[in-house]
Amino acid sequence: MTDLSLADFQPLEPGQEIHGISRPSQSYWQDAWARLKVNKRALVSLYLVIGLLLFTIAGPWVWTVDPAQQDLDQVSRPPGADRNALIVADYAPWQTEGLSFGEGLKVVGDPTTQAVKLKWDAIPGANGHRIYRNIFPIGPERSYGIPRAEFFDNRVVTFEDRLDLKALTYYYVLVPLGPRGELLDNYEVIEVDVHRVTTIVEAVDRGLIEESANLQIGDEINLDWHPFGTDYLGRDLLARLMAGARVSLFIGIGAPFLFVLFGVFYGSIAGFVGGRVDQVMMRFADFVVALPFLLFMILFKISFGIGPGESGVFPMLVALVVLMWPATSRLVRGQILQIREQGYIHASQLLGAPTRYLILRHMIPNTLGVVLVTITFAIPSAIFTEAFLSFIGMGVAPPTPSWGSMSNEGIKTMLTTPHELIFPALFISITVLAFNLLGDGLRDALDARMRNQE
Amino acid sequence: MNSAPANSKELLLEVKDLAVEFDTYGGTVQAVRGVNFSVEEGKTLAIVGESGCGKSVTVQSMMGLIPMPPGRITSGSARLKGHEILGRTIVNGKEIRGSEIGMIFQDPMTSLNPTMTIGDQIAEPLQVHRGYSYKKAFAEAIRLLEMSKIPEAAKRARQYPFEFSGGMLQRAMIAMAIACKPSILIADEPTTALDVTIQAQILDLLQDLQKETGMAIILITHDLGVVARMADEVAVMYAGKIVEHGMVDDVFYRSAHPYTLGLKDAMPNNDPSLQHELKPIEGSPPDLFSPPQGCGYTARCPYAMQICSKQQGENTYLTEHHFSRCWLHNSASPNKPDQLYFKEGA
Amino acid sequence: MSNLLEVVELTKFFDMGRNQRVHAVEDVSLTVAEKEIVGLVGESGSGKSTFGKTVLGLHDKTSGQVKFRGEVLPQKYQPKDYRRLATNMQMIFQDPYSSLNPRMTIGEIVGEGLKLHENPGASVIKERVALWLEKVGLQPDHMSRYPHEFSGGQRQRIGIARAMILEPEFVVCDEPISALDVSVQAQVINLLGELKESMGLTLLFIAHDLSMVRYVSDRMAVMYLGSLVEVGKSDEVYFDPKHPYTEVLIGSNPEPDPKLERSRPSTAIQGEIPSPVNVPAGCRFANRCPKVMDVCKNVTPQLIPLKDVDRQVACHLYQ
Repeated sequence: MTDLSLADFQPLEPGQEIHGISRPSQSYWQDAWARLKVNKRALVSLYLVIGLLLFTIAGPWVWTVDPAQQDLDQVSRPPGADRNALIVADYAPWQTEGLSFGEGLKVVGDPTTQAVKLKWDAIPGANGHRIYRNIFPIGPERSYGIPRAEFFDNRVVTFEDRLDLKALTYYYVLVPLGPRGELLDNYEVIEVDVHRVTTIVEAVDRGLIEESANLQIGDEINLDWHPFGTDYLGRDLLARLMAGARVSLFIGIGAPFLFVLFGVFYGSIAGFVGGRVDQVMMRFADFVVALPFLLFMILFKISFGIGPGESGVFPMLVALVVLMWPATSRLVRGQILQIREQGYIHASQLLGAPTRYLILRHMIPNTLGVVLVTITFAIPSAIFTEAFLSFIGMGVAPPTPSWGSMSNEGIKTMLTTPHELIFPALFISITVLAFNLLGDGLRDALDARMRNQE
Repeated sequence: MNSAPANSKELLLEVKDLAVEFDTYGGTVQAVRGVNFSVEEGKTLAIVGESGCGKSVTVQSMMGLIPMPPGRITSGSARLKGHEILGRTIVNGKEIRGSEIGMIFQDPMTSLNPTMTIGDQIAEPLQVHRGYSYKKAFAEAIRLLEMSKIPEAAKRARQYPFEFSGGMLQRAMIAMAIACKPSILIADEPTTALDVTIQAQILDLLQDLQKETGMAIILITHDLGVVARMADEVAVMYAGKIVEHGMVDDVFYRSAHPYTLGLKDAMPNNDPSLQHELKPIEGSPPDLFSPPQGCGYTARCPYAMQICSKQQGENTYLTEHHFSRCWLHNSASPNKPDQLYFKEGA
Repeated sequence: MSNLLEVVELTKFFDMGRNQRVHAVEDVSLTVAEKEIVGLVGESGSGKSTFGKTVLGLHDKTSGQVKFRGEVLPQKYQPKDYRRLATNMQMIFQDPYSSLNPRMTIGEIVGEGLKLHENPGASVIKERVALWLEKVGLQPDHMSRYPHEFSGGQRQRIGIARAMILEPEFVVCDEPISALDVSVQAQVINLLGELKESMGLTLLFIAHDLSMVRYVSDRMAVMYLGSLVEVGKSDEVYFDPKHPYTEVLIGSNPEPDPKLERSRPSTAIQGEIPSPVNVPAGCRFANRCPKVMDVCKNVTPQLIPLKDVDRQVACHLYQ
């Protein structure tokens, strides 16, 4: 305000554009994308969804393990478990001659997964012995574990255990038996650390080493690696999760895609034609909604009949599509009814647009935003439905893996090997959450566009 | 000429340097950029401007109706009878909203509860603020509806909002706004959604109520006709600032700011002897995401000068109560402001 | 001047179900001469917009006729009828937001008419669209932008370009300025005026703003609850209204002139426009009319020409 010259009061050159627009041009979808990008949760969800799709589609090429292959050395192994194995000679029967006694219960040689060899001295007053094996130390409650052998002869003082040995610490209990076979109190216990071993023949057989590999007895090799562990049949959990993802996502994405497509078709016809046709079509949609979902799914599955070797994926897909389209068709019909009264439809009509053009060029593109949001919300719901049905045993048939059926299998060993339940359940939860958050973000992004028009 | 006039009268409401911003997806919108005005008892101040000029935000921020976030009052004060009300809900033991200042909106439907009868809705604040019994409050509600010239008020009080037409709803809103005898009534585009015949009824009603109760009215509108009909004082807002302020006759017959002149020229003149051309204001208001450095009207102003694009003009008092925020009237300006005055009676 | 458009006893009812129907337009006759601007004024719910849309065939006619250059237009339009008449009649819409498809670029919107008609190829369409964008005061490089990037006034210009690109003879403007700010209204009105002059257009200008209608139109028709109450030259109707409703309407319209407003007696009338579902018998304005007579409540007045002035009025005061 201090120094104003006369020059300041000269008229401004009329250089300015009067109807200029400074902001860069953005189409509906570009703008929605820009809004979505700002939404951190939705963006993380989008990456998760992309990651999941990669996991499902590209995963089996990277991780080529057959999901049906059993690894009997490693059953119900949690991820990250030790998988070293020592090469030993082929099994040969135990020659018990020449053992020295007098030291009580002892292990002979190295306790391995091939065999645990025990020797003992007859306990005074015993009429015989029983050997127990426990995975826990023996406490005052005297639960000894599983009985492994019983001898009613004090002369038998050796035992070779070969039953289902794992690389664990076992507690072997030697209990003396009374005259009538009752257990006496003066038991002996020994703690045994079992090492995992394998033979060259076995290792070659399971594909752990090449036949030509020059390995000596006493060398160490690694068993197959299972990053997510194995299930109760020794199948690789990662491979099964990938295969399960294919089933779950195939149904979870395929079914919504199909029923939304049908819903858009059905709803836009009802909405555009209107009148009595609309009434009849919508009452039929109401009828479908009224069908009890679970009952109908079960009946559908039974009537389809899943033969041996069939997975049951297709009947499930059909059932989902048949039952779930009405919601979309209603939504699209409502949209079309609303759009039909918009000025640009009237304008296009007056310009002589044929009906097909009106629907394809004006109406469908303007319902796409809503349809996209519907799909993103329908996907988690379909994934969850599939998982739920498989979980209760009404879904895909074994051995086809799906996240739901894997959870069902995992729940049996939930307390000892929780990873078998946790991984499939985690995948279901993350997928459902990711799609829901993405749907939320999309709705906000697309709605905001709508609001901005006001 | 640049000094502010001395306050001769007791001011009911005094707003100073009010500035409000909104954080939006596209950036920060500076909706109100330093607004000053005052309201005298029993008078009507009209705030005129186009959509997006910040006129509604100005009064909403006073009433605490701005959602924060995204809204933000960045500066300013609003004093009601000498007490600061910005950011407060209670002053002198009385609730500002409802008790001290009543408010009516463009769309009464959105500010009424559709599940309560009209009578109950008017009675509720009376029960809360005045401690009336339900019976007394409801009787008072009927009286207020009668004051608002709603026929069959007793019957209407027991009806729900959906049973009312737009004009009747606005009357009910007015009854509700004056229930606690506020000293100021803020009417935010009260007749924009109504037809002219109903608008005339509502404007008559507001004038009658003002005479009866002596309350001041702040009328927000974009319609110069309504301003001419109702206002004592007029503040013309553009791009978040008041560009001209004065008594209604000053602003209409001795318009000083080019925007005010432009608005008048853009409206049809109903003088039968004069077939004048409509002179539109070219272009559109500036983007308040990045308000121009200088005067917001520069790009559309036919009198724009070099200085206008660089620096915002200051309030130049043409008479004691009439100022224009324009460089044309600056003492250093070589352009004679008199040439711009709209001729009286034209 | 010959009549370009002749509307004879046009009636449009909307069935609401349960034997209720909305009497949106009832027995309306109106002629529009070539190169004339006829303003149609009324409050919301008066049926003025429905009238405009029914004339263009956007609503089926319940009864009555619309003649364009003497040709009787179909009662119910098929897509081919719109197509045939597209180069004759077009419309400009009230809401500049919902009247442009948000998914289409400005180029696609404005060029739609050409594409649906001659379809002269992309490059020709582009040229013509560019030309028209310039004619309506926009820039050709706005073609690739989307409607949401434009202000209300700019959108209305786009809507005008879309309607004009087929060079129609008759255009219905359905409240083209009521959603716009005062400063922008005049831009659109002046644009319409220029186009009218250069193209020899005939306009039906529907609005509720009386002073704007007076300014814009040659003749003015005032509508109340589905029927016309007064038709005449704009200035004459405005400054010398004959029908009590017209008088009230003009008296209620506040003028931007404080001295006039202070001196003017209040002309507010009580009551509101009745629901078009239950149309009262007799004159539709009878329940609000300050000059009501007994006859008004029973007998529906006909729209008849007055003797000494060029005016048609439907009121018992003049029958």
